[in-house]
Amino acid sequence: MSPPDKRSRSAAYLALQETALQEQEEHAETGGPVIHIGLATCGIAAGALETRHAFEQVLAERKIPARIHPVGCLGHCYAEPVVIIDHPDSGFPPIFYHEVTPGKAKMLARLFLEEGDPRFEHVYGAMKPNDLIPSVMEFSRFSREHRVVMEKCGRIDPGDLNEYIAEGGYRALDAVLRMDPGQVIETVTASGLRGRGGAGFPTGLKWERARTAFGDKLVICNADEGDPGAYMDRAIIESDPHQVLEGLAICAHAAGAGEGGIYIRSEYPLAVRIITRAVEQARQAGLLGKNILGSGIDLEVTVFQGSGAFVCGEETGLIQSMEGRRGMPRHRPPYPVSRGFQGRPTVINNVKTLAYLPLILQRGAEWFRSLGTEHSPGTAVFSVVGDVVHPGLVEIPMGVTLRTLIFDICGGIPKHKGFKAVQIGGPSGGCLPESFLDIPIDFDSLTEAGAMMGSGGLVVMDEATCVVNVSRYFLDFTQKESCGKCTFCRIGARHLLDILTRITCGNGRDGDLEQLERLSRDIKQGSLCGLGRTAPNPILTSLAYFREEYETHVQDGRCPGMMCRPLTAFYIDLEKCARGCDACATCCPTDAVFTTSTRKKGIDLDTCVKCGECVTACPPEYDAVRRVSPAHLAPVVERPAEPVESAADKPENREAP
Amino acid sequence: MSRISFQVNDRKISAPEGMSLLGACLNADIHIPHLCYMEGMTEPPASCRLCFVEIEGRREPVTACTLPVRSDLKVRTDTPAVRRLQRTALRLLLSVHHVDCKHCIANYKCELQRTARFLGIGLKPKHLDHYSKEPEVDDTHPHLIHRPNRCVLCGRCIHICESRHGRAYIAMARRGFDTVLTFYGSTDAIDLPAPDCTACIDVCPVGALESKHGE
Amino acid sequence: MDSEAGREEAALLNRLRTRLADFEKDRANLLSILRMIQETFSYIPEEAIYMAADHLDLAPSEVYGVATFYNQFKFNPPGKYPIKVCLGTACHVKGGDIILENFERKLDIREGETTPDRDFSLERVACVGCCALAPVALVGEAVHGHMAPSKVEGLFTRIQVEKEMAEREKRRHESAR
Repeated sequence: MSPPDKRSRSAAYLALQETALQEQEEHAETGGPVIHIGLATCGIAAGALETRHAFEQVLAERKIPARIHPVGCLGHCYAEPVVIIDHPDSGFPPIFYHEVTPGKAKMLARLFLEEGDPRFEHVYGAMKPNDLIPSVMEFSRFSREHRVVMEKCGRIDPGDLNEYIAEGGYRALDAVLRMDPGQVIETVTASGLRGRGGAGFPTGLKWERARTAFGDKLVICNADEGDPGAYMDRAIIESDPHQVLEGLAICAHAAGAGEGGIYIRSEYPLAVRIITRAVEQARQAGLLGKNILGSGIDLEVTVFQGSGAFVCGEETGLIQSMEGRRGMPRHRPPYPVSRGFQGRPTVINNVKTLAYLPLILQRGAEWFRSLGTEHSPGTAVFSVVGDVVHPGLVEIPMGVTLRTLIFDICGGIPKHKGFKAVQIGGPSGGCLPESFLDIPIDFDSLTEAGAMMGSGGLVVMDEATCVVNVSRYFLDFTQKESCGKCTFCRIGARHLLDILTRITCGNGRDGDLEQLERLSRDIKQGSLCGLGRTAPNPILTSLAYFREEYETHVQDGRCPGMMCRPLTAFYIDLEKCARGCDACATCCPTDAVFTTSTRKKGIDLDTCVKCGECVTACPPEYDAVRRVSPAHLAPVVERPAEPVESAADKPENREAP
Repeated sequence: MSRISFQVNDRKISAPEGMSLLGACLNADIHIPHLCYMEGMTEPPASCRLCFVEIEGRREPVTACTLPVRSDLKVRTDTPAVRRLQRTALRLLLSVHHVDCKHCIANYKCELQRTARFLGIGLKPKHLDHYSKEPEVDDTHPHLIHRPNRCVLCGRCIHICESRHGRAYIAMARRGFDTVLTFYGSTDAIDLPAPDCTACIDVCPVGALESKHGE
Repeated sequence: MDSEAGREEAALLNRLRTRLADFEKDRANLLSILRMIQETFSYIPEEAIYMAADHLDLAPSEVYGVATFYNQFKFNPPGKYPIKVCLGTACHVKGGDIILENFERKLDIREGETTPDRDFSLERVACVGCCALAPVALVGEAVHGHMAPSKVEGLFTRIQVEKEMAEREKRRHESAR
């Protein structure tokens, strides 16, 4: 970063910057080790709060002069809880530790912080190149990523405005406030930034329309992230909320709005708390509210919580919901930029779109254009989940292929299984087969393939996945989330779901696939809003690329992925089953496993719910539980009339009364 | 107000500026199927998805109720793409409609009957399963009877109620496929505009609303 | 017990009247008001719908229509231990529906219902954003990752133990007093 040029800063900003840098210096002077703990929702779910508590305890007990630094999400979900220990006096670089349980935390505090032994067996990697420990940058999960919008995520304390400012935060806003709005829009247009909400509409163009619209304007950050498998917006807000606020303020100035809002899912309680606090901090520091940074420009920002409706992510639905109505989208045009919230021109931008802005305004349109592809500049953030070794959030330049993303960066498919398909863009996206692995990831290539950038949810499926089942899952979701306003989506989606349900239950009929295709096509064309118009995408793509799998379900009642439970059955291979072993019987939730007359095990197919717990429980050396499809292939073993005494029932194994 | 003329199906028609294409066509006696649109609506809900037309230069059919008239419009109301969408929409509506015309108050004046005849399809669509809602009859209102399995959720009753009385005594409740009309809170007969006002019954295109006191 | 709960609810409703006064009479406040009601009661009581409608000068049917549109608003009191099973994409692929079924069987209720003793309620949620831990279930606010049918069993044992401990504690307190 270039040294701050004092002439181009406002006095108000310089004062803030000085305070921020002073705080940093104080920390540096105090010295001592720093323990960075990832405390975003995913980290907390993995037990990061307990880990922090353990550190606090041991630091207090042993009077270790270390500082705990709460940070957001690094995006490495597979490794949570993640802790980075920076212990300069030890001679080691900052070290990345993964899966740090409270026990591990106490051990590291004693051995590394006190005695200087980093416990190599627990080290994941070093955060800087050095001669002692391999750097994480040597792992492709780190090195092939290109962090732009998530640059500060997991490095700064989201609750500390000063840390953001010390990193150059709000500098872009300070400059923008003294620029002509037209000039700001020009820069954004030149950068080629496209909306990260899914459709990829040029951001500059949207703003231009808003600027020229007549009326009391409003800007809104759309943080109603609803795709059931995407969580990058949440992670960004929980890790770096001020970058989003700065983007919102830039947008407001460009569009000429004096009022801003953040529409956020209430299912994200931590993100709601963090962004609300950030708004308050910014207001107190004069970065929001009246006369921002002494510029004479005002911006009031309020946080609005969504109440659990996926369709409110659609901008007209979002507006209805903010107006206190049922979140049913309305016909566009008029677009919100000309008539939105309470009839006022309203600019709605996604969290990521806004978070790019401070960077673009600071580093220039050219810099942004140098990343990604010609028509999709910049980076893309994906939440990669499903059957993949290193799931988590990944930021890559646009144009990287799916193969690189899945295999090189995320480590490929676990357990030596084969790749089957990848579902991109959540419920509005599509399911792509192996032959598409080499297409570049950008807005247009994905749309052409029938998928969609959408929210950036990316689910990797191995060969033991059923694409019909996954399509049914997505339709179940959209059908439940349909607002019910228009005929095609309200009733059509229900028919699609029912056809898919009967196919996955083995009751598919002749003509079902044609019916699916016909209905899907009409729903896509006839629906009122984006939800309905994209809802059939999972079906249309999977029918195009995996049609034979649908046919197998309908014609043979067989599920090749062994996922559709009614089409499969479990049985126990008596050759392999060990006499007297009770592993499967004790774990069965419905007592479907019985002991045969030879004191081996059998499965009662009528009581079995096919949960697969017995497969997990069966010791690997026996590996006796089999799953087959169609269900009638399972050999029938009769349950003996008189229960044979199993090991658990023997008197010597019973607990004394 | 100035009038605008444009072309529909090889015919030149004219309409006042600001009018919707659907309104203009209906005024000119060009029938386009529709359920949710009512004359004078400033922002039609565009929810029934029946009034599709094709506009020269546009890739896909569009709803006529949401399109203001323009002088350069070249409209076709009867292309195969239009008809396909209209037929699918109607079949979907019929798949949740309790077809029992003989016992229905709307028999012979029902918009569904009329549209089915216009589009040339039967009232009991093949290939689509039929769904029914519970309960068959909602009689919680002191003056009205509502039959959810006849209702097409066009919202006309809500619209007219709101414009007559300043607030709607009928609302849509729940979401998605489960959306139903509700009279929630309308138990106190004294506060209600009915039975003197029968606007909601009058505008219902299908006979889903009926008076408890006979006609 | 029931009358105690009833008295408590009556008191809350009384307080609701004053809290409503904090909201401007603007329709745009309807969802904020409903959220406040939901937070106060853990559900939306009928009486509160009338009060909200009255405050904003809307028809009760309108308020009811809006409230029923959104997943977050419940119309029945939840259980003491609200259980949520995540059925986001990652959880589905890893068998989240099997986990839900196990809870249903164990509690003998369907999703969306509450046990007769009001101890447990069960619902499905779409993605809580812990995809790397799939399948996930929540008891109250606590997230339980990598769920399996046998872990469902374990969860109940733990809740049972916690409950007994809490009761013992309570009894000790009472006898101390």
